[in-house]
Amino acid sequence: MSIRTPSTTQSRQALLDLERTKERLSLNQTRISSGNRITRPGDDPTAAAAILNFGDSIQANTQFVRQADAAIGFLTSSEDVVASAISSVERLQELTQTGSSSSAAEVDSIRTSLLSLANTQSQGKYLFAGTQTQGTAAHPLPFEDAAAPAGPINYWGNSGSITLSVTGTTTVSTNIPGDTTFFGAGGQGSNTDLFKAVTDLRDGLATNNTALITTASANLKNSLDNLIKVRTDLGGRQSGLLDLKDTLSGFNVTLEGLQNTQQDTDYAKAATEYSSDQTIQSASLSVMARTNKTNLFDYLA
Amino acid sequence: MPGLNASLYIGLSGLQAQQSALGVVGHNIANVNTPGYTRQRADLTSNQSLVEGQVFFGTGVSLNTVQGIRDRFLDLQIYRETAKQSGATERYSGVDAVSTSLGDTSSTGISAQIQAFFQGFQDLAARPEDSALRTNLVGKAQTMITGLQSRYTLLDDQRNSADQAVGSLVTEVNTLTTQIAQLNQQISSETTPGSNNDARDQRKSLTDKLAGLVGIHVFEESNGGYQITLDSGAATLVSGSSSFNLQTSSGGVALDNHLRVEAVMGGSVVDVTNGIKDGQLGAKLDLRDNILVGFQRQLDQLAAGVAGQVNLLHRTGFAADGVTTGNDFFQSGVANGASGIPTTVSAVTFYKGMVNALSVNAAIATNPTLIAAAGVAGAKGDNAKANAIGSLQSTTGTVDTNGDGVGDSGPFSSTVGSLVSDVGTQSQTYKAQSDTQQNLLSALQTQRDSISGVDLNEEAASMMNLQRGYQASARFLSVINQLTDQLVNQFGK
Repeated sequence: MSIRTPSTTQSRQALLDLERTKERLSLNQTRISSGNRITRPGDDPTAAAAILNFGDSIQANTQFVRQADAAIGFLTSSEDVVASAISSVERLQELTQTGSSSSAAEVDSIRTSLLSLANTQSQGKYLFAGTQTQGTAAHPLPFEDAAAPAGPINYWGNSGSITLSVTGTTTVSTNIPGDTTFFGAGGQGSNTDLFKAVTDLRDGLATNNTALITTASANLKNSLDNLIKVRTDLGGRQSGLLDLKDTLSGFNVTLEGLQNTQQDTDYAKAATEYSSDQTIQSASLSVMARTNKTNLFDYLA
Repeated sequence: MPGLNASLYIGLSGLQAQQSALGVVGHNIANVNTPGYTRQRADLTSNQSLVEGQVFFGTGVSLNTVQGIRDRFLDLQIYRETAKQSGATERYSGVDAVSTSLGDTSSTGISAQIQAFFQGFQDLAARPEDSALRTNLVGKAQTMITGLQSRYTLLDDQRNSADQAVGSLVTEVNTLTTQIAQLNQQISSETTPGSNNDARDQRKSLTDKLAGLVGIHVFEESNGGYQITLDSGAATLVSGSSSFNLQTSSGGVALDNHLRVEAVMGGSVVDVTNGIKDGQLGAKLDLRDNILVGFQRQLDQLAAGVAGQVNLLHRTGFAADGVTTGNDFFQSGVANGASGIPTTVSAVTFYKGMVNALSVNAAIATNPTLIAAAGVAGAKGDNAKANAIGSLQSTTGTVDTNGDGVGDSGPFSSTVGSLVSDVGTQSQTYKAQSDTQQNLLSALQTQRDSISGVDLNEEAASMMNLQRGYQASARFLSVINQLTDQLVNQFGK
């Protein structure tokens, strides 16, 4: 026995199939033209959430790279200052051996230049002032000569550390407070105070006070050791940050790769599906046209 | 033995019966494309015989009934599945309309904007002295708020448009139920049960439409009338020849000032807003009162989490002058904190309305130096607060997602992620449901067609048969006529 297949059944089924083919065609077309496999979250909710997640991580890593760049900016400037200070101190050490009363003027100018180095600004902030990066109303500069030119040179910054987050969990300090850098471990007026040493040297040369010059020479050695330590510290932080930047950038490349596998259209697949659907569409259209033609009425006279 | 006159009547009955049956064929052909039409068949039966002694002489043919070829249970099944199918399709298109915007995974998405806001704090941490960065941060905060609010408004728009559809759908439902009740009246008063085929067809096509609009259960009573109730059973729409109207009234605050749907039965009015599960109306109500509200709730919770957590840290920080403290970064008109924001993550009716009420503290917006980047007083270069706020973006437990007043989420990005996957999953589910229902419905309709549909070939064949029958009857009449002529005019000449 045969099942009745009335005319409406055929056309309804054919129409439904055609509509579905058309829907698939348009979906694949969007995939191909946009380059995205997922055109809306409903296409693949899990992948949509994963793409978002990868995107967040990439954005966060990119931000950490920016933070690291900012930190490197401050650290490089600080290191340059410390390097200049080191060459100045080296010149001062020469002068302790070869200097005479006529060198006092040179030492004084080095003292002035050291003071201005200590007051260096970068991107609107004093590098060696702790967190007191813009000074205060009473003391606009971090280092001030209390009674120029006699000294002593006072420090008006603080010992605050400015840290930046460079990964979710680690932070890096972007500064070295001025007192640590220029006064050393002993603090102001001690045998590690660079400004005291240079003032003493100037005064010793001017008055030909050998004992003072000898003390100053020994203290300059202490200051030089301290500056070199600071410079090493700054350099070490920078190289750590550069490594971190490399790691983060490499990590981002991996993440982008993963994101793309979820997000990007597989062109070969989409194009194959598209052309096969096209074939289906044109075949069903021509079959529909033929089916509608065959009818007993055509053969009745 | 029947006389010649009796034979004339046999021929006549043949002519009449074939002609009537041809009329039925014509009716079938004419309705080949009528939706819901059930093919009809003329039932021809031979007439009572004349008995003469032991011999039974036939007296021709007559058309007793015109019968619709239908399967009543298939019809009832189709109504039920139609309602489910249109419900799923409607829900899918409602969710799909908001999914692209809510699920935006690009840099304009909610997630990216929230992250950009917190990165603004991280940038500020690098240079807290820079007033340009502060202005920039305010801009990023406003972009984030606008981003959240535009999504929230989109959801509101969708809810309102669903609400508007509710009113017009109720009117359509009432028109249909009235018509169905009238047809019930005609059908139950027919003299021969099952004879009023066309009224049944009309009723079927109207009930199909009704099922598309509202989820219904249909029962056929013994007199052929339909009894129609809502799919939850909450109210009766049609019972025999009487129909009961639905009406709308303002739902007040409980329904966010949207319409309440009520059934009027006799003197009593029953609230059926939650009693319609499927059909367009059920889906619109579900979208309006449940599905889209769920998405809005997640946005509110997110906004409350961001605002509450940032404020909590920000108010203990110090502004650029190193002195000013105690300011909130965000302000809003709802909830309970000192400035109207939850001071910590706490439950306030799921933080409803948080997104719309959120804004950057006006004092900070006009004077960004009030942003508290410093953790200690008097140090312009201190960035402890900016760092702390910046790292909020990867802190867990910042959003209260279950309304118990305790943060229970992953980082903000995972809250957005779960919203996206929620939207996606719902959209996928309704799409799959709609496809499945469509397949089921199409199978049922094919089954129904194979029983009730008009097949033109079949009609052509029976048309030929009937034509031949008519020709033969006519020929028979002419033969009897000749015989009569022979008898009356030629006999005895």
